[in-house]
Amino acid sequence: MLTYIIRRVLILIPMAFVICFLVYLGLELTPGDAVSHMINPDAAGSMNPAQLEALRQSLGLGQPFHVRFWSWFTNLLQGNFGYSMSGGVPIANIIATRLPATLELAAVALVFSTVIGSLLGVVSALKRGSKTDSALTVIGMLGVSIPEFFFGLVAISIFALNLGWFPVGGRSMPGYLTLWDRLPHMVMPAMVLSIMLTAGVMRYARSSMLDALSRDFIKTARSKGLPEWRVNLLHGFRVALTPVVVLIGFRLPVLIGGSVIIEQVFQWPGIGNEFISAVRSQDYPVVMTIALLSVMAVLVASLIVDILTAVIDPRVRLGE
Amino acid sequence: MQFKKLIAVGLAALMSTTAIGHALAQPINENPLSDPRVRKAIAYAIDMDTIIETIFEGQAVRAIGMLPDGPNKPTDLIHYDYDPDKARALLAEAGWDSSRELDMVYYYTDQATADLMAALQAYLADVGIIVNYRLVEGDVASQISVVPDDPVNGPSKVTWDFLYGARAALALQEYFNRYAYGLKPMIPNIPRMNELVAKVNGTTDPEVQREGYFEMEHYINENVTQIPLYYQQLYTYESDRLHRNDAPYGNEQYNYNWGVENWTIDPDASGKAVMYTNAGPAQFFEVPWQNLGIWVANKFAFDTVLEADGSLTPIGGEMADTYEISEDGLTFTFTLKDGLTWHDGEPITADDVVWSIGAAAKFPVTHPVVQSTLKKIEGADAFIKGEADTLAGVSAEGNTVTVKFATLDPNVLLSFSQFAPLPAKYFEGVDPVTLQQAPYWQKPIGSGPFKIDEVVMNDYTTLVPFEGYHKGTPKIEQIIARPSSDNDGNLLVNAQAQKADFGYTKAAGDVPGLEALDYMNVHPIDIPYTRMLWINQFPHPTN
Repeated sequence: MLTYIIRRVLILIPMAFVICFLVYLGLELTPGDAVSHMINPDAAGSMNPAQLEALRQSLGLGQPFHVRFWSWFTNLLQGNFGYSMSGGVPIANIIATRLPATLELAAVALVFSTVIGSLLGVVSALKRGSKTDSALTVIGMLGVSIPEFFFGLVAISIFALNLGWFPVGGRSMPGYLTLWDRLPHMVMPAMVLSIMLTAGVMRYARSSMLDALSRDFIKTARSKGLPEWRVNLLHGFRVALTPVVVLIGFRLPVLIGGSVIIEQVFQWPGIGNEFISAVRSQDYPVVMTIALLSVMAVLVASLIVDILTAVIDPRVRLGE
Repeated sequence: MQFKKLIAVGLAALMSTTAIGHALAQPINENPLSDPRVRKAIAYAIDMDTIIETIFEGQAVRAIGMLPDGPNKPTDLIHYDYDPDKARALLAEAGWDSSRELDMVYYYTDQATADLMAALQAYLADVGIIVNYRLVEGDVASQISVVPDDPVNGPSKVTWDFLYGARAALALQEYFNRYAYGLKPMIPNIPRMNELVAKVNGTTDPEVQREGYFEMEHYINENVTQIPLYYQQLYTYESDRLHRNDAPYGNEQYNYNWGVENWTIDPDASGKAVMYTNAGPAQFFEVPWQNLGIWVANKFAFDTVLEADGSLTPIGGEMADTYEISEDGLTFTFTLKDGLTWHDGEPITADDVVWSIGAAAKFPVTHPVVQSTLKKIEGADAFIKGEADTLAGVSAEGNTVTVKFATLDPNVLLSFSQFAPLPAKYFEGVDPVTLQQAPYWQKPIGSGPFKIDEVVMNDYTTLVPFEGYHKGTPKIEQIIARPSSDNDGNLLVNAQAQKADFGYTKAAGDVPGLEALDYMNVHPIDIPYTRMLWINQFPHPTN
């Protein structure tokens, strides 16, 4: 397994390089640059082109594409993420302040959706064909079909504006010092983010549980006279867990980069919001760093999924 | 041969005058949009009254002329009331080819603009003009503002036929300055307009300026070189908790005597006088020279040299105790009030002001009106190019700053009523070209009534009263500013949650929602902000 892990880690490096190059190229092909974003279009005709060009040169935008990319990449290898072009903030600072906000949201959503989704999926499978199964299936379909922003707006309307239980948005307020202080701000975005995940996990868990329950080893276990709960949970659920783990593993990087909508609806100061803002302003050092983070998260998650799959399912042999 | 040349020059000169150009009423090149009859037909084809009532829900004012209503706008302009039959007749007279497809571009991403594009397309189709519209993104400037090498004959370097845009003016000259020679991407040179632009920029006499505005308005109106569509209003909103205590309202996008130090707010449940607002920073505070008063957090935190009223007419000094302009208009002198300090307690010096003037001249995105003023200072060109170490025309003695101009600028007082000096010591070693990238903008030290207290970027910023502020310590105990752009997508939800006590919006779509809240008060304010259609009259590759 160690050889396999080392080989996979070594493969990550060129893959990350190629993906970053493609992202950089995509930014390059997009019209405009960080300086053109700074100009109000209404005043575009009144600006001094020579001074704007000076600003471009100062920010290094006058250099050819390959020079800029190589400079960014070599700085990265030395641990220097660079600075935001828009505001001159060190990107390491941006990541350090925004990533925890996204991670705490993602962690809550992932734990909640994994536990609840798996439980409901198992219940649904064990009660196949019942009203409970039908109800959970419909709820699951609704959960994966309705966009997150809709749930977000409904939640704000009901729980923040009408009932006043939670704040409408933001991550904290002046004077908040602990996670406990911030908890009311986190409840709605984390729960809304969980809805689609829970529904997905539930549907996966149900079908894979059904698949497991139809296997011969389940019949064998029953014929041995094992109690039903033991057959279902220890024999059935353990095997059914494999595809669920794969799903959850691949959800992690999606949560890091993909909670953009939730962050915008709930005014959450996370990395997704920052990414959107950086793309709009063509702030390529910020875009590239966040893209690299996402890429690494996907690649690492896929490695972890492989390892976990092998641990859970003894039939899987890594590297074979 | 010589005679033919003389005739050609004579004809060209005649065609450039208002009367003859209007009387000939024919295209001046192969682009049919250079025919004034076609442009008039377009003006007659658009029912702006209906558009305003429907798309903008009545929250806009139909534009007659470029300038907002006021003494500088003539009252006898042609209205071009909706008349599709007249539009069709004009097009027929001009021999319009109804199979021709025109390209209309816009750069606003809001829904109302998209709806407006669809409406304009439908109105023009009704009279036989096919228009396709598209959003320009990315480097907008290079797609809308590049001027042709030959400002008389073109061809244009922009490829569109119509551009939907706006002029949000600080100074009225801004409405017309692009008619100066060589600055128009879409309109062949008009010699008389060149003279008029020079006229309104070359005097501080309001009567002479008014003559120029009247003539330019008439020219544009009669020749439809561009089509003003509507005047956008700005809406200041306030909760019932907030009391301005007779402080005036004004154009919130700029700095004016809003008397914020005298505002009061009812205490919240904890007994604290906290005011919620928006437009806080997401990643950094913007340099206050760029968009002047757009970001309220900057307005709270920075004072300007002079002070303007709500209509942006300079009325006195803010940081300046006294000021004067020489009779020839070329020397501006002001003396700072005694005892002014920055929020860190350090004295505000004339040297800070001198440094700020030079840095603002070099800063690439200083507001065009302010930049135009600064560039007329003696030695500005050499200083900006890096050929001189100091800005020769600016000097300080004691608390007095003297600014000498190489050429007359009509907006000196206006520019300095918007200009916020910065503390020079925080910018040692910083190139003014990249001023925005300085660490200072993470938590600026200002000079205004409120000082920045806590900054959690992209979450909230708090401001607290600046004890000892020269106009009196503010009464509001704390301001909490949520981050947003000047077009805040979360405004309504925050207002519903009673977390929006003060702010402004230009989005007409927000107004009904704000007005529906019985604890919110909305004040429409007329501002110089005209939305318009530019028409490309040059030949261009897609003609």
